[in-house]
Amino acid sequence: MSTIIKATNVSKVYHRTTVPVHALNNLTLSIEEGEFTAIVGPSGCGKTTLLNILGGLDHPTSGKVEVAGTDITEMKDSDLIDFRLKNIGFVFQAYNLIPVLTALENVEFIMLLQKENKKVRHQRAMELLTQMDIADKAKNKPSQLSGGQQQRVAVARALASKPRFILADEPTANLDSSSTSNLLDLMARMNKDQKATFIFSTHDQRVMDKARRIVTLEDGTIVSDTTR
Amino acid sequence: MIASIAWRNVWRNKGRSLVVIGAMIVGIWSLAFGSGFMQSFLTGYIQSSIKHETSSGQVHHPGFQKDYDINFFIRDPKKLIDAIKSNSAVTSVTSRSIVNGMISSTRQATGVKIIGVEPATEASVTELNSLIHEGEYFEGISRNPVLIGDKLAEKLKVGVKAKVVLTFQDKEGNITAARFRVAGILKATSVSISESTVYVLKDDLNRLLQLDDNVHEIAYVTSTDADDDAIAHDLQSRFPEDKIESWRELSPILVFMEQWMASILKLLILIIMSALAFGIVNTMLMAVLERVRELGMLMALGMRRTKVFTMIMVETIYLSTVGGPVGLLVGYLTITYLGQAGIDLTDYSEGLEAIGYESILYPILQPGDYIQIVVGVILTAFLASLYPAWKAIKLKPIDALHTI
Ligand SMILES: Nc1ncnc2c1ncn2[C@@H]1O[C@H](COP(=O)(O)OP(=O)(O)O)[C@@H](O)[C@H]1O
Ligand SMILES: [Mg+2]
Repeated sequence: MSTIIKATNVSKVYHRTTVPVHALNNLTLSIEEGEFTAIVGPSGCGKTTLLNILGGLDHPTSGKVEVAGTDITEMKDSDLIDFRLKNIGFVFQAYNLIPVLTALENVEFIMLLQKENKKVRHQRAMELLTQMDIADKAKNKPSQLSGGQQQRVAVARALASKPRFILADEPTANLDSSSTSNLLDLMARMNKDQKATFIFSTHDQRVMDKARRIVTLEDGTIVSDTTR
Repeated sequence: MIASIAWRNVWRNKGRSLVVIGAMIVGIWSLAFGSGFMQSFLTGYIQSSIKHETSSGQVHHPGFQKDYDINFFIRDPKKLIDAIKSNSAVTSVTSRSIVNGMISSTRQATGVKIIGVEPATEASVTELNSLIHEGEYFEGISRNPVLIGDKLAEKLKVGVKAKVVLTFQDKEGNITAARFRVAGILKATSVSISESTVYVLKDDLNRLLQLDDNVHEIAYVTSTDADDDAIAHDLQSRFPEDKIESWRELSPILVFMEQWMASILKLLILIIMSALAFGIVNTMLMAVLERVRELGMLMALGMRRTKVFTMIMVETIYLSTVGGPVGLLVGYLTITYLGQAGIDLTDYSEGLEAIGYESILYPILQPGDYIQIVVGVILTAFLASLYPAWKAIKLKPIDALHTI
């Protein structure tokens, strides 16, 4: 197994208000290929900040982040966009899907950005929707899907781009408990069958229980890191 | 797919998009109609001026127009008239002798311009005969008939068949008076015709002026699509002794009006386009701001800023060009219909006729005008799309994602 994320001494300070907020304090973390990792901790502990930095959506104040051997810390925003497209899949808490596109088109869209040809796009999208148990809703618009169904489409889309890893920031925060466990089970299956690397954040105990590695944050510092 | 997403995005808020599209249709229609209306107004004005006043072109002795000295007559009118007639664009030619003098009835006297005309050719050049309101066009009077305007008749308190005396200086400078009889009374919108000009037979006037066959003015009309400036220019180069002018030179006010109308039209286009641009920018800004999170998500996933920019531009252009063709079609149909049926302005015609107007207008638009409107709309749409698109790519993905 190889290391795909290596964050070293990462700190993040927000200066929005007069009092600086230390969201991450000198944090060091590496993620191996094929992991199914949960970043957990109470609200405000820095989970979102960490995932944003690992995903190249934000720059750390200090420290270094390497993704698949590339240092993304100093990368320009415009290069980061291309880097994300090639290497990272995202599942957000909400507003994941393009409302005017069907589930199928949403999954195809990411491959379109990658300039994949029509036939491959369609085939792979249908395959992933099937694996995520949502193929029957392929022609539906997001507004016609439940929250859980939308998140399953979002995971399918994240996988469609064949990323090195998938970041999911509280993907179940808006879901009821059965949708939550259903989504997590599907993600776990994709991790097992497709060797997809998942890093997701949560403050939900039931979600943590599904993870194989649990990294616990408190005030921007890792307080425990356990693998089962 | 970007194009398809953009198209669907336009219809996300149907009501709002329809309002913009509706405004677009109304804007373009009013542009087409406004310019068609104005151009018919202008063309009507110019054509009526040409018909009743300047003709397409005129010839004078170079010194004549300054103070109407009757000794400044055209040297060899026959040769000139033949030359003018030989131009295939010329439809008719007439010649006149002109003197300033006085007309008096038993009750009143007033200064007038006395024009000696050849009735038949004058009728074909200026349709002077069509202005006859009472009496006849140089007929019904055996000796020295004169046509006078209705206002002048009122002032002199004379009617058809009444005797009037015309007084003027002849070629030698001697005061000459001659008795004329009113053959007809002219009614015209032109103040000059109705109040201060009288028409007599050229032969009568020339005899009294001792002018023989000489004339002061030759006027000619050409077919509507002729290049009057070129014709005048060509004649001028062949007859350098005389002064040959097209209607544009004879009546600089018409040229001024042409330019003025063109400026007004530009202003109208500018105003309507600005209003449209404002509406489009507003709508698209709203559409962008409503979708901040979605746009942030797209950029987070890996959609390049140039693509996002293009998508918003395409959306705006769709929005602005859907209404364009419809507006243009409605405008075209309106203009085509009214161009045949005419717009009856009889109810307002008193004011219009006072400034020399026809009371039925036939709006016209040249293909070039439509192209101008289309280009204007496309340009407006393009410019209006830049700002919202620029706003969209200024978003930072994480900030956008976190906006509630
Ligand atoms: N954009 C920001 N500007 C200022 N402070 C922020 C910003 N984002 C997060 N924070 C602060 O940083 C800390 C960590 O936040 P966050 O990473 O969102 O935590 P979590 O996702 O675990 O709830 C919190 O104290 C939060 O208030
Ligand atoms: Mg968070």
